[in-house]
Amino acid sequence: MAIDGFDNISKERLSALADGELDPAASTASCAAWSQDPQLRADWHAWHLIGDVLRSEDLATDPRHDRAFCARLRSRLNSEPVVLAPAALAGPFGSRLERPSHRGRWTAAGAVAAGFVLVVGTFAVVRPGESPPAQIARNDTAIAPSVTSAPAPEVSTQPVAVVADSKVIRDAQLERYLEAHKQFAGTSALGVPSAFLRSATVDSAAR
Amino acid sequence: MNAPDADAPLVERVKQGDVKAFEMLVVKYQRRIERLIGRMVRDVDLVPDIAQETFIRAYRALPQFRGDSAFYTWLYRIAVNTAKKSLMELKRDPLVTESARAGRDEDEDNPRVENEPSDAATPDAVLASKQIAAAVNFAVEALSEDLRQAITLREIEGLSYEEIAELMNCPIGTVRSRIFRAREAIAARLRPLLDTREGDRW
Repeated sequence: MAIDGFDNISKERLSALADGELDPAASTASCAAWSQDPQLRADWHAWHLIGDVLRSEDLATDPRHDRAFCARLRSRLNSEPVVLAPAALAGPFGSRLERPSHRGRWTAAGAVAAGFVLVVGTFAVVRPGESPPAQIARNDTAIAPSVTSAPAPEVSTQPVAVVADSKVIRDAQLERYLEAHKQFAGTSALGVPSAFLRSATVDSAAR
Repeated sequence: MNAPDADAPLVERVKQGDVKAFEMLVVKYQRRIERLIGRMVRDVDLVPDIAQETFIRAYRALPQFRGDSAFYTWLYRIAVNTAKKSLMELKRDPLVTESARAGRDEDEDNPRVENEPSDAATPDAVLASKQIAAAVNFAVEALSEDLRQAITLREIEGLSYEEIAELMNCPIGTVRSRIFRAREAIAARLRPLLDTREGDRW
């Protein structure tokens, strides 16, 4: 926990971030500081509570409740696959990248595959902002197989099984959405990356 | 208001895989989401559960969020849908209209849906809430005119720094600093009420 001058700079930045008035690079740094500094987290809560109360007094809540709520949610988030933006990813497997730290039984092959996914994702991130329609369509579909990606039997190893456990798969509305979008999936969007996925998971299963 | 979404930088962070940025959004919106769900759901004990589910669903769906609406508008819709769905699943009396809400005490024959005190409704919690509201109002009154105006224009009027700078006839950097100092001054008054007693931290 920093004190005084330096502390105030990072606090003021966080305050600007709360208002959406911080540039992306500084936002990244500010998020990192938030996650490391309990004082900044306490400030973040206090400031938003203040804003809520200024707008409406019935939003004044017991801070113990807020804290318990967020602690509980954090532990649930920790068992969620990390989401990555579809716009940033070319493959159907990329939008939900498993986090190794929460999946104790990750194999080396799986980790290598994830590394590859990350690289592909990174390339897509630096792609120019204006995507052609075809790209957008592919991005739409990109989420679908990653969430429901259990269809091929040989794919349904560790990471997929975990996703299949989650409630998303039982959400009829989402299911329909995913189905609808799968129909429009270009073969190029699905074919090549699933081949990567398959080989990685077969490798890991072979161990 | 067609101002750019203040949550856009955080949403962008989440999309890049930063789960902490999502936690920041949770801390920001948890109260509003719980209040919204509390208006729909009769059983107060269900409110936090449905709010948790809302945020988890939002997290999973975030890759599809394209920023066509503000993040909160999108989250609001997820909360409403999650509440409806949860209630249908539980086969409980799903929606509470304003009139039913007003008449709740009279037509409460069924003990099954009796509102048990939850942590959001215990006398302790109610007192804490009242103290916080009073402390915020008191602290805002105690601010200098510049700081009070800056924080009010931002939090109540929802203006951007640029708009506030124009209104207050000062540089944007000054606006940023005034808002920050106002928050710090109010938070300082709140701190005795917010400080953790049981050693749990943010």
